[in-house]
Amino acid sequence: MISKTAIEQLIEKLGAENVASEKEDLLVLGYDSTPGIHCLPEVAVYPTSREGVLAAMEIAGREGLPIVPRGSGTGLSGGSVPVKGGMVLCLNRMNRILEIDEENLTATCEAGVITLDLFNATAARGLFYPPDPGSQKISTLGGNVMEDAGGLRGLKYGVTRDYVMALQCVLPDGSLLTTGGKSVKDVAGYAFKDLLVGSEGTLGIITEITVKLIPPPQAKRTILAYFDDIRAAGEAVSKIIAAKIIPSTMEIMDKATINCVEDYVKIGLPRQMAALLLIEVDGHPAMVEEDAQKVDLILRQVKAAQIHIAKDAEEAGKLAAARRTALSALARVSPTTLLEDATVPRSMLAETFAEIERLTAKYKLTVGTFGHAGDGNLHPTVLCDERNAEEMQRAHAFYDDLYDKVLAWGGTVSGEHGIGLAKKEYLARQIGAGGVKVMKRIKNAFDPKGMLNPGKIFSDDDPSTQSQVEEGFCVSH
Amino acid sequence: MSRTKEKLGNFTQLDAPKYEDVLQCMRCGFCLPTCPTFALTGRERSSPRGRVALARAVAEQKLEFTDAVKQEAFFCLDCRACTTACPSGVRAGEVMEICRSQSHQQVPLGHVGNSFRKFILQRMLPDPELMERSMLPARLYQRLGIQWLVRHSKALKLGPAWMEKAEGMLPELKAPLRPQLPVITEAVGEKRGRIGFFLGCVMTLMYPDVSRQTVRVLAYQGFDVVTPRATKCCGAPHLSEGDRQTARELALFNLDLFLQADVDYIVTDCAGCGAALKEYEELLDGETEHERLASFRAKVRDVSEFLTEVGLRTGGLKPVQKSVTYHEPCHLCHAQSISRQPRDLIQQIPGVELREMEEASWCCGSAATWGLKFSEESRQVLDRKLDNVRKTEAEILVTANPGCQLQLAWGVRERDLPVQVLHIMELLGEATP
Repeated sequence: MISKTAIEQLIEKLGAENVASEKEDLLVLGYDSTPGIHCLPEVAVYPTSREGVLAAMEIAGREGLPIVPRGSGTGLSGGSVPVKGGMVLCLNRMNRILEIDEENLTATCEAGVITLDLFNATAARGLFYPPDPGSQKISTLGGNVMEDAGGLRGLKYGVTRDYVMALQCVLPDGSLLTTGGKSVKDVAGYAFKDLLVGSEGTLGIITEITVKLIPPPQAKRTILAYFDDIRAAGEAVSKIIAAKIIPSTMEIMDKATINCVEDYVKIGLPRQMAALLLIEVDGHPAMVEEDAQKVDLILRQVKAAQIHIAKDAEEAGKLAAARRTALSALARVSPTTLLEDATVPRSMLAETFAEIERLTAKYKLTVGTFGHAGDGNLHPTVLCDERNAEEMQRAHAFYDDLYDKVLAWGGTVSGEHGIGLAKKEYLARQIGAGGVKVMKRIKNAFDPKGMLNPGKIFSDDDPSTQSQVEEGFCVSH
Repeated sequence: MSRTKEKLGNFTQLDAPKYEDVLQCMRCGFCLPTCPTFALTGRERSSPRGRVALARAVAEQKLEFTDAVKQEAFFCLDCRACTTACPSGVRAGEVMEICRSQSHQQVPLGHVGNSFRKFILQRMLPDPELMERSMLPARLYQRLGIQWLVRHSKALKLGPAWMEKAEGMLPELKAPLRPQLPVITEAVGEKRGRIGFFLGCVMTLMYPDVSRQTVRVLAYQGFDVVTPRATKCCGAPHLSEGDRQTARELALFNLDLFLQADVDYIVTDCAGCGAALKEYEELLDGETEHERLASFRAKVRDVSEFLTEVGLRTGGLKPVQKSVTYHEPCHLCHAQSISRQPRDLIQQIPGVELREMEEASWCCGSAATWGLKFSEESRQVLDRKLDNVRKTEAEILVTANPGCQLQLAWGVRERDLPVQVLHIMELLGEATP
């Protein structure tokens, strides 16, 4: 348990308003958006500068407290959950956009900046920051970098990693590491930056991020297609890619998802359809025109039940916003939404849908599937009730079987949510014991004492650091 | 249902949240950017997601119903912006409202505080005549020039901040409307129906001229307007303060009164009353036949909602050559999902130019007594609103709820902004011959 002196020191260094140790504060910093996980940290700090981060880490080190960085707590794999207690380092008060460099096409900001705020600030200068995770309205850049968040535009524009140019971070021994820069090319030594992206707070605490910006597309066209059979939608996706068209967005929702989303947004989505595809093509107006026509032709070939073109940017925006609510809207149906992040090579999409259908029937579950079809990245979501242990078991068996297939097809257990706590076993299955060992060695090189976000990505071997679990609630002291 | 069958965790049995309602939150955080108190503090426990998590922890016996839980229940503005933002259908505001009721059971006030609260909620508000009499001193205070004296001597600087603000917010008080308004005001022109007008307490006491316009507008629109004199407080202050029992008693009374009045619709010009009236069905579940509750609920309309639904008769309306911006009362847009209708009405008034402000549906910081209890925080929320108002450079700021109107008019006066604050029915009244 954290000592009184340590709390006093934290208050002295960071200010009383930036340190929380009341149980009511700590209780609500022990979760993210991952179901079924809730832990209790010992202290929470809200540094407002890199010096503050450094000071907090020093004190945590002295106290032997694990350090868990947290942005807005919207993660979907438990990355920011203090599973071993310790100190939650909230970065959401470090939220200044420091620079938008129009000559180098970069933006530099603190780790706690909200993703959409950065998007808006750069858009106001006629520039474009493409990564747009579903939670962009509230997720932080730091969190996006740590989990290598994707989004709706991943198909054409890539994910967070593709935009990170430089990172400034604090290592557990108190040293500062700046990696990367504004140069377009950089092959000087190991690519620390790439190692840090997606490291889920296990290697260092990021304080500052420089991202690449691009000119925004001049034109856009949003197409909505409905299908009587979800496999036809999968086929459409594969055919569009095979026709060498790269839409900026190609999102899918199945019937269950369409209905939940429509319950919330009420924009007239057809409830009886088996699936919908939301496709956006963007770029030069002439090319957009041509791509839209080709997409339309393919949709007709695969016998889409209906094809609808958004009449203006406002309607397109509404459709994209509706899609972003999919996961949360599914939570209307049941108390627990268990979601996964399986990603397959795109040619295997139709098979994946078939497999999901088969397993849904086999395990007698209710499943809503949506996701980034164009990336082969699906979010089959089991709608269940965590109070029903037997149902939860079936849900886990569903994912076990599904991941066997996904891995056999050369897919991955996480396209964009990270491993965190939720998918450690699946990762081991994917990369094998040897792969996990190398990852641990890398972790050890950055963080020899294991202070940073312990228990994430892979399991700690040391049983003495295991948390005590009490009726499904991890208590660290 | 007031009593749950089984006691839920560390809640008492009377008026506890339902476990399903807190379990529904999947913690996506979509509510965070819409919550004024989270915007103020950046503290998770002062966010809807955090508050629901606290309630869940109490339900799961991970936490006692502590003083901090009570603080959060009352620090919540109950603006319901999070309800609008929540794709999962969680109603954090209502969970907090119920936690306020728990607060009084579990973390009671001291003797003096409790007696005062009981007097206001259980004696004064349920009795329209007592309320009218109690306003007399305030009217005399204004009439006799004492207000002028007090304000100029800055005497109130010595007292608590809320007292100075409360005094500053007082509009020019006129005689209460309730005893003056005819029980039946007859329709003008071709009659379209018969409506029961629910005259709210704040409207009759503070804004008699507004509701007078409402009745005039409704009559001009072709409706016989019945205003039952016996109407009691809708119960909103009680729900907001966590006295659900008195709220139920008032609700039952009003339910009987308006069902007997044999009207086609029950219309109010107060967003707070409208939201409460629409919640009677839930509040009184199990207290009376469901049929009666459903029939009552089916008739309740906010005045903007009503006029848009039946169609505004625009023939004969006089032009109002003004630029107008519209502030959405939380209890209209978030609690009743009425957002489009007031704008439709405003735009149907000839001559009016509607200018949208940014964040029109962000709370103004009034929120029943919140604006007095947390006067500094309220000021910050109000500043954000007034900055957005100012940017529109509109001549008139229209709203549809007396709480907002008091707060906005006060803010405009304090800041000396060149904008007139009106209720939407005053604007429509100006256009009505």
